[in-house]
Amino acid sequence: MFAVKIIPHILAWAGIVLILFRGSPGQRPAVTLASISGFVAGSSGAFILFRFFPEPVVFGVIKSVLGVSFLLLWGVAVAALYLCSSARVVAVQQEGKSGMSSLWTGVIAGAASLVAGAICASRLPGRDSTVLEVVLLVLAAAALAYVVVYAVRAVEKLLSASFIVSKLGLLTIVIALLLFSASSILRLDLFSPLSMKVMKGIHDFVHQFMESILIPDHLFVRSAVWGYIGLLFSKEVGFWGGMVIWFVPAILIILATRFKRLPSVAHIRQGAQRRKLLAASIGLRRGQIVVPVIALVVFATAAYQSRFPNVEYWDPKPVPVSANQAGEIFIPKKGDVNLEDGKLHKYLFKQGEREARFFVLMSPAGVLTVDLDACAICKPDGYGQAEGTVICYYCKTLIPLETVGKPGGCNPVPVPFTEKDGAVVIDGMTLINSWSSTVKATAGNKEGGK
Amino acid sequence: MKRLLSSLVAAGSSRAVPPVVIGLFFLIYIIIAFFTDETLITLMAFTRKSFVLAALLALIPLNCIFRMAWETRRGRARRRALAGIDSESVSDLFDETVSLPGAADPDSGHHTLAPGVAGLETRLASVGYKVCRTEKTIAAWRGLSAYPARLLFLVGTFCLFSGILISITTRAAYRQMVIEGVPMPTPSGTGGLVERIALAKSTGSILSRVLTMEVVGRNGTKTFGLYPPSMYDGAFVYPRYLGVAAHIIFAAPDMKTEYETYSNLNCYPPGKEDSVLIAGSPYKIIFSIPEPTAGSDRYISYMSGVTMVNFKLLKGPDLLFAGSARQGGEFVRDGYRLALPDIKRLVVTDFIKDYGVLFIWVSALFFTAAVFVWLPIRIFFPRCEILFRLDPHATKAYSRTEGRLRMHAGVFYEALDVLAVRKTDIPDG
Repeated sequence: MFAVKIIPHILAWAGIVLILFRGSPGQRPAVTLASISGFVAGSSGAFILFRFFPEPVVFGVIKSVLGVSFLLLWGVAVAALYLCSSARVVAVQQEGKSGMSSLWTGVIAGAASLVAGAICASRLPGRDSTVLEVVLLVLAAAALAYVVVYAVRAVEKLLSASFIVSKLGLLTIVIALLLFSASSILRLDLFSPLSMKVMKGIHDFVHQFMESILIPDHLFVRSAVWGYIGLLFSKEVGFWGGMVIWFVPAILIILATRFKRLPSVAHIRQGAQRRKLLAASIGLRRGQIVVPVIALVVFATAAYQSRFPNVEYWDPKPVPVSANQAGEIFIPKKGDVNLEDGKLHKYLFKQGEREARFFVLMSPAGVLTVDLDACAICKPDGYGQAEGTVICYYCKTLIPLETVGKPGGCNPVPVPFTEKDGAVVIDGMTLINSWSSTVKATAGNKEGGK
Repeated sequence: MKRLLSSLVAAGSSRAVPPVVIGLFFLIYIIIAFFTDETLITLMAFTRKSFVLAALLALIPLNCIFRMAWETRRGRARRRALAGIDSESVSDLFDETVSLPGAADPDSGHHTLAPGVAGLETRLASVGYKVCRTEKTIAAWRGLSAYPARLLFLVGTFCLFSGILISITTRAAYRQMVIEGVPMPTPSGTGGLVERIALAKSTGSILSRVLTMEVVGRNGTKTFGLYPPSMYDGAFVYPRYLGVAAHIIFAAPDMKTEYETYSNLNCYPPGKEDSVLIAGSPYKIIFSIPEPTAGSDRYISYMSGVTMVNFKLLKGPDLLFAGSARQGGEFVRDGYRLALPDIKRLVVTDFIKDYGVLFIWVSALFFTAAVFVWLPIRIFFPRCEILFRLDPHATKAYSRTEGRLRMHAGVFYEALDVLAVRKTDIPDG
């Protein structure tokens, strides 16, 4: 039931609105208006985009916005740490009272709610709905937004006064909640593609670094030592590197808050008064750390959701096939199995001691394609199918079904075939050689690096 | 003009320059990653070709030079202020500045020194501060400055980014075959004779094998090892792979004459294949080194120089036969003859013209030194400074610390409290 699936997204958005209410005291009307209108605009905008554009385009737009917001968080976090390490002592500030202007509050609330609404809309099935259905969905979204915002307003008043939200904390938790919301949707998840890109980036960097400073090749190096270097070429380095990049902005903001210089009390001659002011500043500083720590937990949950998605991949067991005397493999398009049903159909071909795993798939455009169950980059862990994509099990890259059959990147390696007499015909020797060269190349890439 | 210059200097010596430049390069990297999998190589190629990107990268070493000058100037100014020499404003040299009421009594105009000033010196000395008093200043300090560590770090950063810039923009690599008994091929031509190539087991903890190449030239014999690589003819000698240079004589029933060639075969480790096409014929010979006996080093044949090669003779796509032949031996069958009169050791070597590498290595030394200098100072002896400038109209107090913030702040505030106490007038003189 999609209503159940949409609950985490609504809760994430409610969390964003709650934080905005607490972080912008005295600007409730602006937050209320901007949140409701942003959510409605985001969800209805997404509905309309899905109607008129292909799904990969719309998902790409939402994912890009999320990516840019994460980059923005990185920039702000680095700047915050840089500013806090500045040695100049500042005058006493009452951080809790200095807030943002209504305009900025409205912009942030509106933008965050827009993205949250778009993410919620991405969850809905049957995106090719009629105009009437779109209007009804928009009205439902508006009603839902209204109820949620006013419920959150009531909840916010019950929160303790010691729950402080600084500007940095607000930005961190808003982006964390948006990424958490996106992480449960395979095609909006950022953590998995980030891990994959980090893996490739680290492989590249280590390779270039070793070439640049003229490190001897592995044939001269002890295998134990090369084993440690080999860790940098493994799949796990992408995961751990991705985790570092994922968590560092929140950690930097916690550090920037924790190590921010206390205000100067040197002009106060009474020791007790100085101590009181300093204690108040320290208390304020501690209070401001709570929200970024919560954001850290939210980031962790998003990473967990990405790593262990609640998605069942369609991954059939490969069916053994054999070649005829001419060395050709015949697979009927219709029969026990319908190759044109849009699902992945996996097969295993053996020739002596050599074997090859491949699959047949009908793309959404109605084009039949035959590909190795392996790509030219990763180890041949194979592919699964889910939500309009195939996923490489090794690096967790999602490949849109529309691009399966085209070579390059992490796409499965296409295999030449013909269609004859209602069957798919593949040359066995070509298949075996293609598999052997692909697997040999990827094994070489992963075990040496140089 | 002067203002513009000082603004440029201020911008150039800003601590924000390296993170901003590195951030920009990361942004470019991310954008490139959407278009190609060879992201880093593409970025390096762009930087090499683009003056703008190279100039951007050059900002970091330039910033290091500015910062070294800036830190040195500030350090000297602070020392002069603590010594009571300079009377210019020093607010920007310290972290905290506090104004106290003037040392003069507002009614009589006489200088009023708080009776605790002498006691202040004793108090500061008792908590480990060295005190220096002049007519108009009281300075106190403790610990060691981290300036040397900062300087080492800045020099290291300068070397690192200069090295990266030089490497990216000027690196040239030439791959050559260095063959035993043959003159050394160099980027500019040929060099001395390669007298000997030797591969041996290593007893070290990092390298399993050591390779040495002895080259005899006009200036005597020069030996090239693995690491750190030596230079020859202005380029680093970087051995990459092993192989053999084979003198091959081949004859086939349908060939009018024997085919003789010298061929470089990149066929190590054992099992790796390399092929030779017989020109003007459909024949191809695939060579490989046989696997050694179990328990022995995979490169034993290279080490000992006793080279047996396996081969496969193909005519077009068809395999005619396979066999093996030893150095100096031959294989004859069905009218086919394959002789290997000579097989020499070969090292596939890159000659790298890249002076940036030297800077990068040196930067590692500077960074290591910076850490070893900074760490004990920061933990045990951080620099803390207090300066009081006694003035009839407004006494100013300055404070600065590089560590133990709260402890130093407590001492500073207490000192201010002491100085702010006013008792009886003390006449001038």
